[in-house]
Amino acid sequence: MTEKYQNFLRRYGTALGGLALFIFFAIAAENFLNPSNLLNVLKQISFLTILAIGFSFALTTSELDLSFATVGSLACVVAGGLIYHQFSPILAIAAGLFAGLAAGVINGLIVTRLKVPSLIGTLAVSSIATGVSFWITGGVAFVGRWADAFLFLGRGQLVGIPVLVFWTLIIAVFSLFVLKQTRIGIHMIFTGENDEAARLGGIPTQKMKVLGLSISGLTAGFTGVLLASTLSSADPTAADGFMLTAIAAVLLGMTMIEPGHPNVPGSLIGALTIGILSNGLILMGVEYYVQDIILGMIIIASVSVSASTITKAAFSV
Amino acid sequence: MATLLDLKSIHKSYGAVQALNGVSLTVREGEVLAICGDNGAGKSTLIKIVSGAEAATSGQVFLRGKEVHFASPADALACGVATIYQDLALAPRLQVYQNIFMGAELTRATFIPFLRILDKKKMSQAAADYLGRLNIEIKDMKAPVASLSGGQRQAVAISRALRWQASLVIMDEPTAALGVRETAQVLDLIRQLHDQAVTIIIISHNMEDVVAVATRIVILKNGLKLGECLTENLTAAELSRMIALGDLGDRNIIRQTAVE
Ligand SMILES: Nc1ncnc2c1ncn2[C@@H]1O[C@H](COP(=O)(O)OP(=O)(O)OP(=O)(O)O)[C@@H](O)[C@H]1O
Ligand SMILES: [Mg+2]
Repeated sequence: MTEKYQNFLRRYGTALGGLALFIFFAIAAENFLNPSNLLNVLKQISFLTILAIGFSFALTTSELDLSFATVGSLACVVAGGLIYHQFSPILAIAAGLFAGLAAGVINGLIVTRLKVPSLIGTLAVSSIATGVSFWITGGVAFVGRWADAFLFLGRGQLVGIPVLVFWTLIIAVFSLFVLKQTRIGIHMIFTGENDEAARLGGIPTQKMKVLGLSISGLTAGFTGVLLASTLSSADPTAADGFMLTAIAAVLLGMTMIEPGHPNVPGSLIGALTIGILSNGLILMGVEYYVQDIILGMIIIASVSVSASTITKAAFSV
Repeated sequence: MATLLDLKSIHKSYGAVQALNGVSLTVREGEVLAICGDNGAGKSTLIKIVSGAEAATSGQVFLRGKEVHFASPADALACGVATIYQDLALAPRLQVYQNIFMGAELTRATFIPFLRILDKKKMSQAAADYLGRLNIEIKDMKAPVASLSGGQRQAVAISRALRWQASLVIMDEPTAALGVRETAQVLDLIRQLHDQAVTIIIISHNMEDVVAVATRIVILKNGLKLGECLTENLTAAELSRMIALGDLGDRNIIRQTAVE
């Protein structure tokens, strides 16, 4: 095997695996290629990707955010609750985004000021977010006839393509731009690569960590708002199920494109792969718990392949 | 020569450990000052205070006659004091030019007002230029630092100091991890800087290196300054003996001036 070929496999091997998975389900799973099914997959992947990209910002600064899923649920009930009580959609959206951002900033301050490792700190915030969500809804979900303007956010279509897909692409392109083209982006990357070196080089590393965790919170907030709109209901556990899938998407993404680094195209392909996998398995009538088992194995395999300074630092307490 | 840096009675304690016990010293413009002493003498602590990485417990730092209070490395860098740490403080998986411009990236305007993006081309070119000035051959500015040799990495770290247009460059054991050929290369780099009128403070346990590049030597022991001497006609063996005995004998220029 030539070196060039090896390098190609190293960078794109996982993506090829995802493609193989797609072809496999296209042949083996009835209805997989059905347009309505593909549309459904695309929607699921949208939520997954947005959450994954947010999580990867935190991971870029070498911090873990284990709260993004329940923070997404919190934003979902905050936005959904306001819509349910007939407040304006603008206010509901802003409040949902704010809830996510606030949780992210709190995570950042807990990590940088109180010196609580992010693994523990964000887990605690996750618990708090769940508690607050149930408190807000009284344990049930807000369901009702919601304003059309609000529903368009998650259910609308533009030129036959779900609006959700556009949100995902906008966020992906914007994130890629920030990380690759701006000083803030490279300062976040330096912070994750070598915290002490970055500090000695004059980079405000603590601020970068707060920023990374805040972005993760904000994207979680946005996902929560989108979920409320798409489901036209607000459940205090609406986004909880995305926790492991989004983390797996990012870790899977770190095995490709820029091996070892969290990267946006990688997260996108990781989310696509995991979305296809879970949909395909369901269509083939495989028991639901099999997905959980596979997800766990993907996480272990990805991290062992791409074991890097960033992941090691982030996962150590 | 004019005084560039003046340290007055610097104390530093880490809890019960007294790392520096009132060290005063002067650095003159354009000189290469070596700080020597046994392990734990307080050398690294002293330069961390000058570089803004640590705060002194008490004492004063004057730069060009003005008292300064560096709260962070960024403050020191802004005043033209750049430090090359023993571990070089690089991000190994990032590229050569990115490391050289770490924390001081060049940007350019875009068609969107106030939105500036990284000027990668300009940074690559400038990085090649800095390395060229040091006579160091690194072909690919986009190579990850992890792929470089020890001497090349040292050159990247020194280029970073050049990038800050530092007037004072501090190096903590720049040759500690290097082989013979690479050590010679780094000593050459130091001479190049010296020729460019950059003031240098170097910490080293290698006496050969010290007598080869330094113009003046300060010897520390247990957080105190034992004395200073010039490197003229000084052999490495003699310097080792002075450090081991903790006595500079009649080499000590401080005591001589005191006697006069
Ligand atoms: N962060 C710290 N916490 C506690 N003690 C410290 C710390 N940094 C240094 N010290 C102590 O201060 C004293 C001086 O240390 P310093 O690192 O300045 O010595 P040094 O002269 O650079 O030694 P070496 O030649 O081994 O590098 C030592 O006793 C050391 O143990
Ligand atoms: Mg030292």
